[in-house]
Amino acid sequence: MQFFYPLHRMILALPKHPEYRLYLAAGLVALAFLLLALVLAFRKYFTFIFKSLFRNKLRTLLSSAAIFSLVMVVTLIWSVLMFLDIVMEDKSTDLKAIVTERWQIPSQMPISYGAALESGAPHPDDPHAVKPTDSMTWQFYGGTTEPDPAKRNLENIIFFFAMDPHKIKPMMDDLEGLDERMIEAMVQKKAGVLIGRDRAKSLNKRVGERFVLQGLNYPDMKLEFEVVGILPEGRYDQSAIMNRDYLNDTLDAWPRLHNGQKHSMADKSLNLVWLRVADKPSYEKLADQIVTSSLFTAPAVKCETASSGIASFLDSYKDILQGMKWLLVPAILITMSLVIANAISISVRERRTEMAVLKVLGYGPGRIQAFVLGEALLIGICSGLASAALAYFVITVWLGGFKFPIAFFPSFEVFADALWWGPLVGGLASLAGSFFPALSARRVKVSEVFSKIG
Amino acid sequence: MPAEPIVRVNQVHKNFRRGSEQIDVLKGLSLAVHQGEFLALMGPSGSGKTTLLNLIAGLDQPSEGSVWVGDQQISRMSEGQLARWRTRNIGFVFQFYHLLPVLTAYENVELPLLLLPLSAKERRQQVMVALEAVSLADRIGHRPGQLSGGQQQRVGIARAIVTDPTLIVADEPTGDLDSKSAHEILSLLQELCKELDKTIIMVTHDPKAAERAQRTLHLDKGMLVSETQAMPEDAIR
Repeated sequence: MQFFYPLHRMILALPKHPEYRLYLAAGLVALAFLLLALVLAFRKYFTFIFKSLFRNKLRTLLSSAAIFSLVMVVTLIWSVLMFLDIVMEDKSTDLKAIVTERWQIPSQMPISYGAALESGAPHPDDPHAVKPTDSMTWQFYGGTTEPDPAKRNLENIIFFFAMDPHKIKPMMDDLEGLDERMIEAMVQKKAGVLIGRDRAKSLNKRVGERFVLQGLNYPDMKLEFEVVGILPEGRYDQSAIMNRDYLNDTLDAWPRLHNGQKHSMADKSLNLVWLRVADKPSYEKLADQIVTSSLFTAPAVKCETASSGIASFLDSYKDILQGMKWLLVPAILITMSLVIANAISISVRERRTEMAVLKVLGYGPGRIQAFVLGEALLIGICSGLASAALAYFVITVWLGGFKFPIAFFPSFEVFADALWWGPLVGGLASLAGSFFPALSARRVKVSEVFSKIG
Repeated sequence: MPAEPIVRVNQVHKNFRRGSEQIDVLKGLSLAVHQGEFLALMGPSGSGKTTLLNLIAGLDQPSEGSVWVGDQQISRMSEGQLARWRTRNIGFVFQFYHLLPVLTAYENVELPLLLLPLSAKERRQQVMVALEAVSLADRIGHRPGQLSGGQQQRVGIARAIVTDPTLIVADEPTGDLDSKSAHEILSLLQELCKELDKTIIMVTHDPKAAERAQRTLHLDKGMLVSETQAMPEDAIR
């Protein structure tokens, strides 16, 4: 089990993973016990600890601001890492397998592979052959509205998923609720396209408007399209979908219009095939069927799950991600602790007389140490909670996630778990930073503080 | 006065190390203080009077000898034991008040009571009694910065008496006050001694302050050199 599995997903997964109950229960009991112990131990002294923070308001504010910003950075980094962990986690049922070219990226398979793959390429003699429960092919068409190559930029370029419109709702994530009329419009008008809202805005196109694209990955292929719908807000804001029949019909008609010459991409137009299977054993059987089939040798193909596909894609970023996880985050936590250590050290030095007075009044070394730790803990917990709460409510609740379009990922969001790990990280880093200053406070000698010639 | 002294200091020596040099601050000093007595300690700078006060208050340990307060030999207690002992037995009044600036007068006086197993209501009762004894019940919400020097010292005295300690020790309690405030503080200490039968040991440089005590001990170079008794008309009793 991942150590930082998002809490709300863990709760949702409880019916399938009853063992999570133990972890959840243990965590909640430990947290409740800790809070109870803190409240019981410090309830009488809370006023003193709280008011001590206002002794030097500027120092307290700066320490809080440091914890706030550092917890914010840790929250954002962990949210991204956690998101990637989730998308790379293998599902056990209702899997989607991806078939791509084995030795080349991007895949450029012949369109003839499509039908065979969608049937699962079963061996004729195999009575236990697996067939996908559903499938979808993707061809990528990229074009630009700008005829002058020198003026082409991201604002006038658009890439389409060329696919069967009837597969949009069952197979495309987050498009299950798409208006059926848009699908019908794409079927009726082969040149009809659905565009993401950000792309429509940059191209300055609305529903009903037509435009012409110069092909980028299909050289010399000019296609005219009509916008028949805008995709829902979310992960497809920068994307677009076209009817694959339009692309394939154009490729088929190419020799007639070009002296019998096939288009250069005619035999390389299939980029991805998605296959849905019921469970992991079915996937493994299907993958074996495809990889060992003689139908897919030139080029050879590979079959992997979406999560392992993403993992492969992210493999080149692995070092960066590992660096973030094991170097950057610990460095931030250590920095946080050092900032607190510095602030608390100065505070303890300034308050030696106060510590000595407390000792005179009967406060033992342990209590004085606890006061210093308590002040640091209060700053850390409050600042950490404020930071994580702000990140969660602004990014997840208000903005609906921050758009970070990588490999068709949806927006990254800050999970609700940040509301407990934020104060925990802030509190623990503050505790760690205040350890030695608290030790110093404990050792204040009354006779030395009040020593004078007398 | 009862026969058995409440404070007994027996042949105490106290020395400090300053680098390789050993400095003898107290040299075989002995004294006894009786219940309800107001004792002043005087002497030139370096005579050891503050050191002696610290030993009696359990803030330091003698290098040799013993210190008894009541029936407890405090010179053998650990730091933790002394802290717990001080809460109930010692009330300390500082020259510079040493109130916690972020807390109100009420909260400053309440500080020692937080160490005792008292409810909030019981603590409030005792704090108000102490503040009324020093005539500052109308200033409970004021922070030290909002009080005059004399008022701050009275809060300091209230803090010292709030736990009803066996002994009140005062280290130059009027050293930072003007003459009028000093007079008020000394009158207050005399009143505590007379009305509440408190035992008070006060270190002072000021002969006028020492005159308020029943007995004055003079120290010099770590030894007791003389003792003065107050005149009958100056005596408290």
